[in-house]
Amino acid sequence: MVNFTVDEIRSMMDKKKNIRNMSVIAHVDHGKSTLTDSLVSKAGIIAGAKAGETRFTDTRKDEQERCITIKSTAISMFFALEEKDLIFITNPDQRDKDEKGFLINLIDSPGHVDFSSEVTAALRVTDGALVVVDCVSGVCVQTETVLRQAIAERIKPVLFMNKMDRALLELQLASEDLYQTFQRIVENVNVIIATYSDDDGPMGEVRVDPSKGSVGFGSGLHGWAFTLKQFSEMYAEKFGIDVVKLMNRLWGESFFNPKSKKWSKQKEQDNKRSFCMYVLEPIYKVFDCIMNYKKDQCEDLLKKLGIVLKPEDKDKDGKALLKVVMRTWLPAGEALLQMIAIHLPSPVTAQKYRMEMLYEGPLDDEAAIGIKNCDPNGPLMMYISKMVPTSDKGRFYAFGRVFSGKVSTGMKARIMGPNFQPGKKEDLYEKAIQRTILMMGRYVEAIEDVPSGNICGLVGVDQFLVKTGTITTFKDAHNMKVMKFSVSPVVRVAVEPKNPADLPKLVEGLKRLAKSDPMVQCIIEESGEHIIAGAGELHLEICLKDLEEDHACIPIKKSDPVVSYRETVSEESDQICLSKSPNKHNRLFMRAQPMPDGLAEDIDNGDVNPRDDFKIRARYLSEKYDYDVTEARKIWCFGPDGTGPNILVDCSKGVQYLNEIKDSMVAGFQWAAKEGVLSEENLRGVRFNIYDVTLHADAIHRGGGQIIPTTRRCLYACLLTASPRLMEPVYLCEIQCPEIAVGGIYGVLNRRRGHVFEEQQVAGTPMFVVKAYLPVNESFGFTADLRSNTGGQAFPQCVFDHWQILPGDPLESGTRPYQVVQDTRKRKGLKEGLPDLTSYLDKL
Amino acid sequence: MFYLIGLGLGDAKDITVKGLEIVKKCDRVYLEAYTSILTIGKENLEEFYGRKLLVADRELVENNADIILENADKEDIAFLVVGDPFGATTHTDLVLRLQQQKIKFQVIHNASIINAVGCCGLQLYSFGEIVSIPLWTETWQPDSFYDKILGNYKRNLHTLCLLDIKVKEPTLDSIVKKTKFYMPPKFMSVSEAADQLLQILEKKQSLSDQELTLTHSSLVVGLARIGANDQEICICSLSKMRKIDLGLPLHCLVIPGNSLHPLESEFLLQYAVDDKELQLLKH
Repeated sequence: MVNFTVDEIRSMMDKKKNIRNMSVIAHVDHGKSTLTDSLVSKAGIIAGAKAGETRFTDTRKDEQERCITIKSTAISMFFALEEKDLIFITNPDQRDKDEKGFLINLIDSPGHVDFSSEVTAALRVTDGALVVVDCVSGVCVQTETVLRQAIAERIKPVLFMNKMDRALLELQLASEDLYQTFQRIVENVNVIIATYSDDDGPMGEVRVDPSKGSVGFGSGLHGWAFTLKQFSEMYAEKFGIDVVKLMNRLWGESFFNPKSKKWSKQKEQDNKRSFCMYVLEPIYKVFDCIMNYKKDQCEDLLKKLGIVLKPEDKDKDGKALLKVVMRTWLPAGEALLQMIAIHLPSPVTAQKYRMEMLYEGPLDDEAAIGIKNCDPNGPLMMYISKMVPTSDKGRFYAFGRVFSGKVSTGMKARIMGPNFQPGKKEDLYEKAIQRTILMMGRYVEAIEDVPSGNICGLVGVDQFLVKTGTITTFKDAHNMKVMKFSVSPVVRVAVEPKNPADLPKLVEGLKRLAKSDPMVQCIIEESGEHIIAGAGELHLEICLKDLEEDHACIPIKKSDPVVSYRETVSEESDQICLSKSPNKHNRLFMRAQPMPDGLAEDIDNGDVNPRDDFKIRARYLSEKYDYDVTEARKIWCFGPDGTGPNILVDCSKGVQYLNEIKDSMVAGFQWAAKEGVLSEENLRGVRFNIYDVTLHADAIHRGGGQIIPTTRRCLYACLLTASPRLMEPVYLCEIQCPEIAVGGIYGVLNRRRGHVFEEQQVAGTPMFVVKAYLPVNESFGFTADLRSNTGGQAFPQCVFDHWQILPGDPLESGTRPYQVVQDTRKRKGLKEGLPDLTSYLDKL
Repeated sequence: MFYLIGLGLGDAKDITVKGLEIVKKCDRVYLEAYTSILTIGKENLEEFYGRKLLVADRELVENNADIILENADKEDIAFLVVGDPFGATTHTDLVLRLQQQKIKFQVIHNASIINAVGCCGLQLYSFGEIVSIPLWTETWQPDSFYDKILGNYKRNLHTLCLLDIKVKEPTLDSIVKKTKFYMPPKFMSVSEAADQLLQILEKKQSLSDQELTLTHSSLVVGLARIGANDQEICICSLSKMRKIDLGLPLHCLVIPGNSLHPLESEFLLQYAVDDKELQLLKH
C-alpha cells in the first residue's frame, strides 16, 4: 500500500528544506536498481518481500529481460524521520524546524557506460548522489567516471557498499579482510573525490567517511543495510558513550580489549578491531547460525538482537530465513533514508553553490538570484534535461528541475532551446504549459503546480525542444548551461526502410528517437543517407530496436556499424599556401601545423577554451606549449562549432582592414574544421596560421561570398601539404575475469589491435582486472567474442578514451588510412579518389 | 576573337554602333548580369539585337570562366557589361586569362557611372577615391569605406559611393553547404546608404570625440537611374536623405567635398529638396 498521497507530496514540495533530489549512480551490475527497490518498498509502493527482485525503476520490458538499466527513471517518495535521527541534521537549511517528513526525488540511472549520457542528465537535476559500489569488485572504471561527473556538477556523494551477502557467502572473507576491503574502497573513492574537488571548495567537505555515517553497507538483493550510526545506537547505552562519539570509535584504527575493557589506537595482543568486533561479528554470527542450520543458537541470537519474526516466516530456513532475519534486523530502506536525509543537501543548500555552474547569464540578474535562493516567488527557471516517452506514441514528457519560481498547469512561459541567445528570437517559443505532472516510476500523476527545488515533468513542451532546454517566465533570462557528456557518439550506422515507401515514417521515427535519448544523434548526410550515431554497440542496438519497434514502427535495414574518424596533420605545411578569391582580387597566405601533444585534449576538457581571457590563455599556451605569446593572443577562433580542438591564428603583421574579413575567415575555418579535406570528417589537433592577406580595395569585393570559400580552399591546401593523417577513436576497456580466463582475453585483444597496459588481481578476491586500449573500429562483436573465448567468464566495459593516429599515409594507395578514406568518401557520396591539391592551391 | 563590350547606362539603344555590329555577328553573346543592371530586361535587349543572349552570373564568370572562353580562338564571342567593361567593375582578371591563353580580344568602351556622375554638376576632376557601400547584415558591418570618404572630404574631394547590388548571391548559411540557396535580388537605395552612414557617424562619435568633419547636416547628392529617361537627382542633408525615396534602382550617392566651386554650387541648386539646402549652397 502506498503510504502517501499526491496531495501530501504536493504540500511537501513547498517545504524546500525537506526535499532531497538524488540520483543513484554506479558501475554496471553493482546493484543500483536492486538497492533502489529497498527505498521504493519502504515507501509502500512495492511489497517488502518483493524488494530486490522487482527492480521497480526498470520500467521497460527489455530492461527487465536483460537485467540492465537503459533509461534513467525518476520517482518521488515521502518518508518521515524519527525524532532521534532528526537531531543529526544541524544545518538550518537542511530541515524545516517543525517538519519530520522528507520528500525524496530519486533518479535511478543506468550503469553501462554506453548509457552514461542518461547519468549526466540525471545528475543535472539532482543535488546528491548515492554511489553504489559492489564490495567484491571494488571501484571500477564507470564508478570513477560517474563520480567524476558528479563532483564536476557539484553533486554531493554518499557511498554504499553493496553485495555484502556475496562477500560473506561466496568469498567467505574473514572479518579483518572484509574491513580491509571496505577501507580500500572508501580510500579509492576519496582519492577520486579529492582529485576533482577541494575541501575548502564551495561544496565544503565532500569526502565520505563511515564514522560520520555517510557510508552504508549491506545487500540490496537481500534488503538489508546499515551505517555505523545504527550499530552505534545499539551500543551507545551499553557503553554509556554518546552515539556520535561511538561512531568514531567503530571505524578505522580503533581497537578494544574485552578483557581489560580498554580502547587503543593500535593492534595489540588481546584487542580486536572495534569494527570487526561490534559490527561484523554479530552479522557473521547470524549468517553462520542460519546458513549452517544451527537452530537453537539461532533462536537465542534472534532474541538477543530483538528480532521478532512473523508467524509465516518462522518455518523458513537457509537463504530465505537469512533474508527475512537480516531485513527485519537491519532494514535497508531505513538506513538509506537516514543517509540521504542527513548527508545529502537540500535544494536550498545546494543551489547556493550550484547556481554559478548552472546559469549562463550574469550572476546577479533576477534569474540568477532566484536560482541561488531557490525562491518559489522568483521568476520561473526550469531546466529540461531529457524527454521521457509517454504512452501516447510520438509524444514526450519534458523532464526537468524547477530551480526558481513555480511552474503550473496552463501558465505561459518562454521555451528556450540550446541555440537561443538573449535578445534574439531563434530557438524561442512562447507557449502555455499544458500540464505539470509528477513522475512516479511506471506511473505519472497530474499535479497543479510545482515550486522551485523539485523535479517534475511537463506535457506539451516536447514539440518545441529537441532534447533539452530552459523554461522561464523572465524575459531577459539567459539559458541554463548545456550538459557536457563524458562519452561521445563515435559509432554510427546508416539506416533505411526495407520498403522505400516508408521513408517518411523513418524520418519521423528518427526525430522521435533523437528526442528520447540525451546522446544519440540522428543526422541526414547531404548524400541523403540517414545516420544514427551513438556511444557504443549496445547503445546503438537499443536505439535501433526502439526506432524499429516504437518510433518508426516499420522494418528497417541497417548498415554495419562504422566509426567516425578525425583528420589531422603530422607536419607543418611544406609551403605557404596561397588561395585566391573567385574575383581573384583577394589572396590568403596560410600554413597548417600539428598542435603539440596534449593541447587538443586540453581544449576538449575546457582547460583551454574560447571564453578564456585571451591574455591568460596566451600565457598558459606559452608556458605549457611554448607558443609565441603575441601569436597566442591572436587566436581568432576554435572549431568546429566554435569550441573544437583546432585553432585559427592570426600571424600577419599590419594588414589593413583584416578585421573586416575576420568573420568570413572564421566561417570558412568552421566549415573546413567540420568537413576535412580527406573525407569530410572533423579535423582534430590542427593549428592554422594566417601569414598574409591581400584584399580588394573596396569592402564590397571582399564579403563572405568571396572570402568564405577561399578560406576553406586555402585551409584544404594547407592540410594537403602538411602530411595529413587520420585519427581513430580508442576505447579504454576494463575486463573482469577469473585468472584462468586471462589468457583468452589476450588472444582476443591481439586479434583486434588491442593492447593491455595493466593487469591486476582485485585484492582479497580471485578476480583479475585487465585494462587495455582497443580501437573502437575493432570493438564490434568484441563482447560476444570475448565471452566465447573465455567460457563466458569475462565481462568488458568499454569507454571512449582518446584519439589515436591510424598509421600510414592516407594519400598513398594501398595503406589502411587510404582505404578508410575511400570507404568514407564512397559512403558519403563524394567523388572517389584523392582530393586534388591544384584545385585548392593557386599560383602567384 | 573575344569582345568585351560596354552597354552604357540607359536602355538597349545605348550600345555603340560598333558594339552592335559585333554583337550581331558573334557566335555566342554573354550578358554579365551581376555587377550592374540596366533598367530594361534581357528580353528587350534580345529583341533589339535580334539574337539570343546567354546570362553570365557571378558563378559562371568567377568560377567557370573556361566555359565562356571555350573555342574563343576559333569563334567570335561577345561579353556584354553594363556601363564600361573596365568601369565600376573591373573585369581585369578575365583579360589576364585571355592574355595567358593567347586569345585575341578587343574592348569596346561605353559610358559608366564613373563619368556619367558628372551630370549632377560636380566636376569629375575633383572626385577622390570611389567606394562601394555594402549592405550590412546583422553580423557583417564593415565601415572602412567611411575612412576613405572622410579622407576625400578632408582633401576637398567628392566621393562617389556605389551602392551594393545583390543578384543571385548565395545566403551566408548556404555558402558552407553543397546546395546553394540564393537571396532574393536586392538593391541598396540612397536612403539605406544614408542610414548606414549615419550609424557609422554615431558609432565614431561615441568611440572618441575626434574632430568630426561629416555631420548629420552635411550635404549629399542622391542619384537614381542615371542615363535612363527617368533619371533623378536630389541634394539634401545626410539625415534628410535617410527619408528620401528615389524610386527604382540603381542608385548611387555622392558626398561632395567640404567646399564647392561656385559653378558646382550653382548647378546643384536646381536639385535642392527645399529652401534650407538652398541657403546652405548659397554660402
